Amino acid sequence: MIALAIETATPACAVALEVDGEVTEAVLDRERRHTEVLAPGVGRLLAAAGLAPGELERVVVDRGPGLYTGLRVGIATALGLALATGAALVEVTSLEVLAAAAARAGARGELVALVDARRGEVFAQRFSLEPLAALDAPRVLRPEALVSELGARPAGLGGDGAARYRAVFAGAEVLDLAVPPPSVALALARRREPVEAVVPLYLREADAVANFTTRTRAR
Amino acid sequence: MESVLGIETSCDETAAAVVRRDLVTLSSVVESSIDQHRDFGGVVPELAGRAHVATIRPVVERALREAGLDPRRPGIAGIAVTAGPGLVGSLLVGLSFAKALALAWDLPYVGVNHLEGHLFAPRLEAPGLEWPLMTLLVSGGHSMIVYQRGPGEHEVLGETVDDAAGEAYDKVARWLGLGYPGGPVLDRLAREGSPARLPLPRGMLGEGLDLSFSGLKTAVVRATEGRDDLALADVAAAFQATLAEQLLRKLRAALARHDARSVALAGGVAANSALREGVAALAAELGVAAHLPALAMCTDNAAMIAAAGLYRLAHDGASPLDLSARPNWDLREVA
Ligand SMILES: [Zn+2]
Repeated sequence: MIALAIETATPACAVALEVDGEVTEAVLDRERRHTEVLAPGVGRLLAAAGLAPGELERVVVDRGPGLYTGLRVGIATALGLALATGAALVEVTSLEVLAAAAARAGARGELVALVDARRGEVFAQRFSLEPLAALDAPRVLRPEALVSELGARPAGLGGDGAARYRAVFAGAEVLDLAVPPPSVALALARRREPVEAVVPLYLREADAVANFTTRTRAR
Repeated sequence: MESVLGIETSCDETAAAVVRRDLVTLSSVVESSIDQHRDFGGVVPELAGRAHVATIRPVVERALREAGLDPRRPGIAGIAVTAGPGLVGSLLVGLSFAKALALAWDLPYVGVNHLEGHLFAPRLEAPGLEWPLMTLLVSGGHSMIVYQRGPGEHEVLGETVDDAAGEAYDKVARWLGLGYPGGPVLDRLAREGSPARLPLPRGMLGEGLDLSFSGLKTAVVRATEGRDDLALADVAAAFQATLAEQLLRKLRAALARHDARSVALAGGVAANSALREGVAALAAELGVAAHLPALAMCTDNAAMIAAAGLYRLAHDGASPLDLSARPNWDLREVA
């Protein structure tokens, strides 16, 4: 199996390539330069493995939640590769990849995966790690609200949303895990059926529209 | 004969087209998200970006298949994609998709300036149009007069200093409660009204070739506020006549100062009936050929991007894979 994973849900852009069980991973950039670095990075990764893009059998893409522009770049790239090569498309979410990465790193019990949603909010989802299972649905909320929900329940926190609001989560264990690793996405995708289309998991559908309406009224 | 795949996602249209080297269009697919923007009186960038991600693959796949090409082995010469100007969250969808295709097919691709695409649109319908060419490019985002001695050699003679012509239509339509987009409905109403009932000040009376429409919009608001006696058709007619008068006066001045053998209308507002009649009459009077685009060529499409891309690939070569989207890419920077 030759599979490529694309990770663009945070300011970082990362890729991983699996060739017959052997996985190579590369963080291409950490400064929101997805548009610029992703395609050349995929090209270099394939070339280093001595592969032509047409040999790709599977493209795994993180559909978020996360940075909207990053997700669009990642998903559009995955869709283009799939169309041009005939590779199967498989989707994962940023939050489940973070949880699986935490479990792989040895974390136990419960984990709340958190991706920075900007505007003072985080995308969040709770997981139990042994075995990996989601305990609720992904959502967007203020970190302060999450703190009061969690109360005294012990849970590890992972993701760039946890790192950003470390002070708000004082007392909780924050794992060193900012970027959902695409190598973990490859592992998760192994047991997953391909999809025909991928759209970002926005979680804020009405928000952009609501903001626009307010803005036009004020004008 | 070799072809280029064009991709356009700069605003609310997701478009793909295959155009042959001799500028014959083999396929042209356009999907618009305009219905999602109607309630907001203008294109909502976030909604446009979301629509592009959902539409890009089926649109490109359809354009390839309608041109008789296999998406796995298309046998084309390259890919052209709009890199700017436009909404950044929309541009990067087409750009990322095009880069992925270029990488997977191992083909050259080129980032095209959207406005240069509009300048190439007349060549698709009228390949025999003679140089030099004067183009009045008017849309919801842009209004300019461009002089071209040949393909790729453009000189911006004047452009709007504030609103685009199409934007003025949208704003006036919103003020009059006519919904969005404003162009078609105001044009239809204007044909039933008389411009004489509402005198509006003419804009940009100086010698320069720049354009301005925000004053006209304000004048319409002032002149109609609290006036229940005015017929909508008469307001539309007065607005449209005043706007067209300025465009045609500046176009006439441009043609007086620069030797041109043809004049073309391009962009969304090229669908406007007053402008089409005015440009045709002006060209006839001056003895130059006039090109009025088919309605499908007025709106944003990817055939024009492919046409510009054919030229850019031949003259400048391929773009690097690390190209950024350029939301404010000025046509003057396109050498
Ligand atoms: Zn346009």
